[in-house]
Parts: sequence; structure tokens; C-alpha cells
Amino acid sequence: MSMAKDLSCLQSELLRRQLPCGGWAALVSSAQAALEPTCYSLLAMNTNTGPTIQTALRFLLRAQSSNGSWPVFLGDDPDGSWVTSLVTIALRDDIDAIPARLNGFHWLLDASGKEASWLGRWKFRTTDRHVRFDPDRYGWPWIPDTVSWVVPTAFAILALRQLPCTCGGFEQIPGRIEGGIAMLLDRACPTGGWNAGNGVVYGEPVAPHPDDTAIALLALCHHGEDPAVQKARKYLEDVAPSLRSPWSLAWTILALAAHQRPVAALRAALAAFPELVQTEDTSTLALACLALDHERSLASFGVDR
Amino acid sequence: MSLTRRDFLVGSVAVAAGTSVTAPFFWPKHHALHPMARSRVAILKAERYASDLEQLLAAGLREFRVNVRDKRVVLKPNLVDYLPGDAINTHPMLVRAAVEVFRRMGARSVTVAEGPGHQRDTQLVLAESRYQSFLREDRIRFVDLNRDELVRTRLRASYTGMKELWLPRAVLEADFLVSMPKIKTHHWSGVTLSMKNMFGIVPGARYGWPKNILHWKGITESILDLCATVPIHFVIADGIVAMEGNGPLNGTPRSLNEVVLADDPVAADATSARLMGFEPARIAHVREGARFLGNAGPDHIDQVGEMPSTSSVPFRVVPEFQHLHAR
Repeated sequence: MSMAKDLSCLQSELLRRQLPCGGWAALVSSAQAALEPTCYSLLAMNTNTGPTIQTALRFLLRAQSSNGSWPVFLGDDPDGSWVTSLVTIALRDDIDAIPARLNGFHWLLDASGKEASWLGRWKFRTTDRHVRFDPDRYGWPWIPDTVSWVVPTAFAILALRQLPCTCGGFEQIPGRIEGGIAMLLDRACPTGGWNAGNGVVYGEPVAPHPDDTAIALLALCHHGEDPAVQKARKYLEDVAPSLRSPWSLAWTILALAAHQRPVAALRAALAAFPELVQTEDTSTLALACLALDHERSLASFGVDR
Repeated sequence: MSLTRRDFLVGSVAVAAGTSVTAPFFWPKHHALHPMARSRVAILKAERYASDLEQLLAAGLREFRVNVRDKRVVLKPNLVDYLPGDAINTHPMLVRAAVEVFRRMGARSVTVAEGPGHQRDTQLVLAESRYQSFLREDRIRFVDLNRDELVRTRLRASYTGMKELWLPRAVLEADFLVSMPKIKTHHWSGVTLSMKNMFGIVPGARYGWPKNILHWKGITESILDLCATVPIHFVIADGIVAMEGNGPLNGTPRSLNEVVLADDPVAADATSARLMGFEPARIAHVREGARFLGNAGPDHIDQVGEMPSTSSVPFRVVPEFQHLHAR
């Protein structure tokens, strides 16, 4: 089967999984619309599926909380979460969504890891020193009142980069992006790549994760000359051929493509994954679509090559 | 000295204010004070991960009055990350044996459910830790608790101060929840056993990877709130190859050659701690859990199988937990 047919088959399955409310659930067995799979699915749909896209867009707009953030799933508390970054990316082509996106960007600008406060920095400098990192460099947390982690920081960088100008209350954006990038570079694993949050715990280097590394590399696509980025890229290239999960492989394809690395063999391996279309996890299915159609997908993530 | 009306009022307000600030520290943090009068623990000798684990578990379970007929059984192993080796995750052969035994005991369904704490790619963890193949071969349902449907759940203890958590439906709807931890030391909580294993039911999609909110609210406090809210009905702890030192990920494998079965998580963890050479009363969540969740003292535990002689060489721990050692 050609790559185009593989992609079309996966997209058809995604369409079949769309819930009547317009969103997608995280798992096939669930009927609870969740924002992460909805964002990936929306990005993965091609332009021939107009009504699907419209109902998905309306779902995302309805799901926004009054503080400008988006919850993890429909019915969740309105405090805000990491998926706000993904939603602002998924809504990028919808003119009607501009006010909602702007509110989302404002929320993202106000959100930061606990290290942003002097008390948090003091704690990590004095009483809590088992994790090696520079508390002056912070990014974004998964949820409010927790510290910065690699994936939400990388997504926030990708999202904020999509704002065309930094005026009208968005003057802090370049500084926040710069701070997030500094945080990512600070927290790289000594052997290359990224784990969930830190590279050294209790004096021991922690092992990198392929998906965390790939998402960080997407956010660092303009920093290819940095030694930490080069090391991470090398790690990902080494590990990619033996990856045994479509989720990690899909993120890896997107990241390596963003860094101008060949991905044809990896795309073929992804398409050949046994029972990919039946995967329980809808985000994985959508990501596989995004990776097989990586040129268009990278543009959606705002990654210019 | 005379007391004016004004002095009296000011004094009363001061006392009321002081009481309102200090009283919460003295209020009980748990409500469900119904621990079992006696608990039962079995320590089973197992030299290696092999096909005879099924017989071993079946024999061990006969020592308990376990009835899972027509019940929805959920097995919750400890799958942290996909790093190689037998010391990090609950071994797949033990889980496979447990599935088979509960199926034969007449369970309506047996589901394996976990939400890895560090790794977002659950399928990678399953593949690399050799779960995926047996789940497929034996047609065992697996639920990724990091992404399952969530239900707002009121906490039944108040150690963290959180009123509620979003928890996965697969776990809340279980009739019989089996915690299947790996016996390990842990650099933040001293040990990770059946009670700490419950961190895996907290959904990563909602709370992040790792579930950082639980660290900020206090690991001991979070363990207690979770175990009070979602009761563990049975424990099968994997101590065939355990971990010591800088656990839960970077420690050293340690052959303990034991599987611990228990009908009470506090008793299971207290016994496992003794096997590791620790004094259970020095482990904060075991000590506090013994006040309302189960029994930690040997006087309240009926021991079957091997006797819990403490490890001749105690498990190594990071410096902050040296005080756990029994000697």
C-alpha cells in the first residue's frame, strides 16, 4: 500500500472516532472528549473533511475556560492546563478563533513553573538540591502550582512562536520564549536528549525519552548548532530505527524532519506498524497521520525548515 | 485586676482566631476508621521468574478467603519506565500468572491497568518491559490509566488538603483491586510498595508526567489520601528481583526471592519493609496508614508461608533514609 493510502486509511479511522460533540476521546473505549487527541486529530485531518473540521473547531471554542485557558477534557476544572498550547496551535487557521487564541496566549504568558517565584528558587537552592538544574531558568508546568517540565515548555514555545507580533500586551513573549529555551538546554540529559524534566537526579544521570526529546527538538528547531541539540539529535537518530511504539516513532519523524534529517525509512517503518489503525490511543493514531504527512504537519506546528 | 467588657471581647476574638488557625492541625485527617481486626500475609519463596509462578500464586491465594467470582478484577502493576532489566517494573510473568489464576477463580473480567509515572509513551513501556506480547497472546485487556475516562472523586482523607482528584473509571469501577508493586527503595519516600504504587492511578494527562502535584502536596500525604479513597483489596508484591539504593529507577537489582501476598496493603508493606531490613514504623505512610487503613504490627498479622525474618543485609538506601534500617 502506498504512503498516501496508508495515510488515508488512518484518517478515515480518525473520522470514525470523532464524537458527536466534535471532539475526540483519548481512548477508543472512552466517550469523554479530551483536548489533546482533539488537537492532534484536527491537525491530522486533510482539507477534504470540512464539516469534521468545523465541528471540531466549534468544540474547541466551546471548551475554552473563562480565564483563556483550555482544560484537559470536557468537564474538567477551569484552572487551565498544558493543552492550552496545543489548542492555540490547532486553531491557527481559523479566523473566527483569533480572539480565543489571543486569550489563550495571555493565559500562557501568565503561566509559569513554580521556579518563577523567589520562594520556589530559594527552595531549590537550599533545601531541595537532589535534582540538578538551574532554578533561574524556568518554563511551563503541566498544571498550575507545579514546576516546569520539558514537554509543556516545548509546546508553549511552539505555540507562542506562532503569534505574528509581540505588541498589544504580548511584549513579554520573546523573553518567555528565550527563558523556555534556556530551561530546555539546561535540563538536557548528560548522554543527550531529554527525560520528563531533569537530566541528573541524586547525582545519577537519567535516561532520555525518545518522545520528550523529539518534542523538545521541535521547539529548538532554530538552535541546531547548540551542542545539547546536536547531542539530542544524535541520540534520537541512533534510537529511531529500533523504536517499538508508533507514538515515539511519529514524534521522532517530525523532530528529525524539522532538523533536516532523512525520514523516509522511518516513515515506511511507521506505516508498516502492525495494527496501527486499531491502536486504542487516538492521539497515537493522529500523530501517525501527522508524521506520514510531515511537511504539512511541521507547518502547522510553526516549524519552518 | 478587673476585666472590662472591651477586654473580654478582644480576648474572645483572639481566642477564636487562634482556634480557627490551629484547630485544623488537630482535626483527624481520616474518617474511615475501620481497619481489619487481623490481616493475613503470605511470603512465598520464588527463586526466579518462571512458568511455575502460576502454581505458586494459586497455592498462595488458597491461604486467603478471596472470592472474585463474577467480579471485575483490576491488576495494577508498577510500570515506571522502559529501562532494561528486571528490577524496575513488576515482572510480566508474575502479572501473567496472576491474570490466569484470577480467571480460573471465576472473575468476570481481569484487566491490567497502569499509568506510568515518568514515560508518556505507555505502549513503549509495555513493549520494552515485555508486557505487550503476553497481553496480546492471552487477550488481556490493558487500560492506560494516564488516558482513561476520568471521574471527579472526593478524597476520603485530608492529609494533602486536596478535596478531590480526577481518577480513572477503570479503577473506580473495579470490584477487586490488586496492587502489584515491585519491592524497591525510593529516593523520595524511602520505599515504594503496594501503597506508593497507587500513584500510578493518578492520570498523567490531567496531572502531568510525573504526577508533580502529588510531590508538592507531600508524597506521604498523597499516598494516604489515595489509599483511603481507592481501597486496595489485595496485594501481590514482586520481590523476586527487588531494587535497593537510588530507586525507583537508578538503584541496584537485589535478589530477595520472595513474593508477598496480603489482604491488607499496610500489612503487605510492613512485611515487605521487614524483608528489606527496615523498621516499618519508621516509614511515615506505613506508620500513619496503620492508624486507619490496616495493620502494621506483627501482633495483628497472621503469617502464612515463610516467616518474615529481616534481611540479613539490609537494603541500601539514599542517605536521607538511613534511619529506616531496623538495626
